Order: sequence, then structure tokens, then C-alpha cells
Amino acid sequence: MITTLTQTNQWTDVFKTSKGAIYQCDEERCWYVDFAGKVAKFDYRCLLKLRKSVYHINIEQALLNTTKDPDVEIIFICACDHCYVLTLVQIIALKELLEGTFVMLELNHILHDKLVIGQ
Amino acid sequence: MKDLLRIKSLISTEIESLLNQQVKKEAYSSSVYLSMASWCNRNGYDFSSDYFFKQAEEERLHQLKFYKYILDMGGNSISPEITGIKQEYNSFREVFEEALDQEISVTNAIKNIYARCLKEQDFVTVEFLNWFLKEQREEEYKARRALELFEVIGEEGTGRWQIDKHVGEIKYNG
Ligand SMILES: [Fe+2]
Ligand SMILES: [Fe+2]
Repeated sequence: MITTLTQTNQWTDVFKTSKGAIYQCDEERCWYVDFAGKVAKFDYRCLLKLRKSVYHINIEQALLNTTKDPDVEIIFICACDHCYVLTLVQIIALKELLEGTFVMLELNHILHDKLVIGQ
Repeated sequence: MKDLLRIKSLISTEIESLLNQQVKKEAYSSSVYLSMASWCNRNGYDFSSDYFFKQAEEERLHQLKFYKYILDMGGNSISPEITGIKQEYNSFREVFEEALDQEISVTNAIKNIYARCLKEQDFVTVEFLNWFLKEQREEEYKARRALELFEVIGEEGTGRWQIDKHVGEIKYNG
């Protein structure tokens, strides 16, 4: 995984936590999500779908759930190549990663907006 | 870093979700009017029934207008699920009272999207919404006029028959 990351210098860090990172590739117009031991490529639609499915998981309810089911969620995204099988702790970490990423993308958008208007 | 969000879509996720809510609201309006058309027809108010059939169709067109706009801007339109449509009314007058309530709530919803657009400086969507603001002027006018007939004509005697006849003639030349 580390070798993949060093090869690609055109990736920009969008957001990083101790559990993972998301990079943007301008050339391919996509993002690379480094999480849960793999680096997965997401285009715009799929990244939004990933965010939606992660945000939809009711973490509080899952924590209070006392049945003996294993505490794992499967995140399957329609029309995307990736699927995550995550524990609750990982889901919280992924949610944090995505939240940070979208704040940064939004910020980037605002900067672009101001630059265009300022011209 | 390129602004990929902007490249893919002209509208923000917030605006997109507000517009999708509006799609649902218009679809709901259409179903409500269809139910009113049925009630009026069953109770012998033929002109009002026709009036509501026409309104139902208009609301469907409004729904599609929002639906297609979202797609054209690079967003994701969501086909809404509509439930909880009232099928029975207590009186002829109640039908028109609720029709006006419905239009007022639609106007408010559009104003709310408009405010959000201004905040984001999304002037493209503002321009799109202008058509709807004008439309709401007409919609509220017609609903209010219809309700006024109950005051002007009165419900006694052949009053309701008269009111029904006049509902078919309401026009707005704004
Ligand atoms: Fe409408
Ligand atoms: Fe309407």
C-alpha cells in the first residue's frame, strides 16, 4: 500500500486522520480512500454514495444493541466496485474521515469561488 | 487542487436536497388535488372536480420541472414516495380551505429555497425559482378567490351549486 502512495505524486492530501486518509487526483478527477487496509478509487458519484451510506448508519443504536450479532456493518455501494466490512469503531473512524474530507472539499470550493469572483 | 465538486455539479448538496424535497412537495400537492377532484366529483361538484383535475396536472408538471432541473445541473433526482393522502372531506368548503393551505405551504417552501440560494450566491437556481414564485402568485390568487366565493355567494339554498359553477371560471390575469 505504501508503495502505491509514493508512486503517485499528483495526489493531493484532502484529509488525514490516524486511521486513514483521502487523496484527490486532479488528473483522474477522482479520490483515493486509504482506509481499512486498502486504497480504493472513488469518483464523484461513488464518494457521495459512500458518504450517504456511512452517515446513515445509526451508531448510537448499534452501540446500545445488546444482541449477540457481531458488531460489523457491511457497506456496499451500488454501482461502485468497493465494499467495506467494518466494525463499529472503524465506522466511527471512517465517518470522521469523510466529515473532514467534505469540509475540506467545501473549503476548496469556497476558495475557487472567491478566486473566480475576485478576477 | 481542482474543485471537483463544482466540476460535477452546478448546485450544492444542500440545494440539491432542498430541491428534492420540493419535488416531493409538488408530487404531494398533485396527489392531494387528485383526491379533491374525486371527492368533488362524488359529491356532484363537477366544475370544481375539473378544476382540481387541472390543478393536479399542473402540480405534476411542477414536479417534473424541479426533477429535470436537478438532473440538468448534475445532481441526483429522487423519485418521491407519497403517502398519507386524505380521501374524505367534511364539507365542500373544507376542500377549498385545504387547497389554499397547501398553496401557502408550497410558497413558503420555495421562499426557503430562495433564501438558501441567496446565501450561497447560487444565482442560477434563483433565476430558475423566479418562474415558480410567479406561478405561486397565480396559485394563491386562484385558491383565495375560490374560497371567497363562499362568502360572496353564501352556502344557503342553491349557493353551493352557484359556487361550483363559478369555480370553473376563476382566471388570473396578473
Ligand atoms: Fe406547484
Ligand atoms: Fe400549486
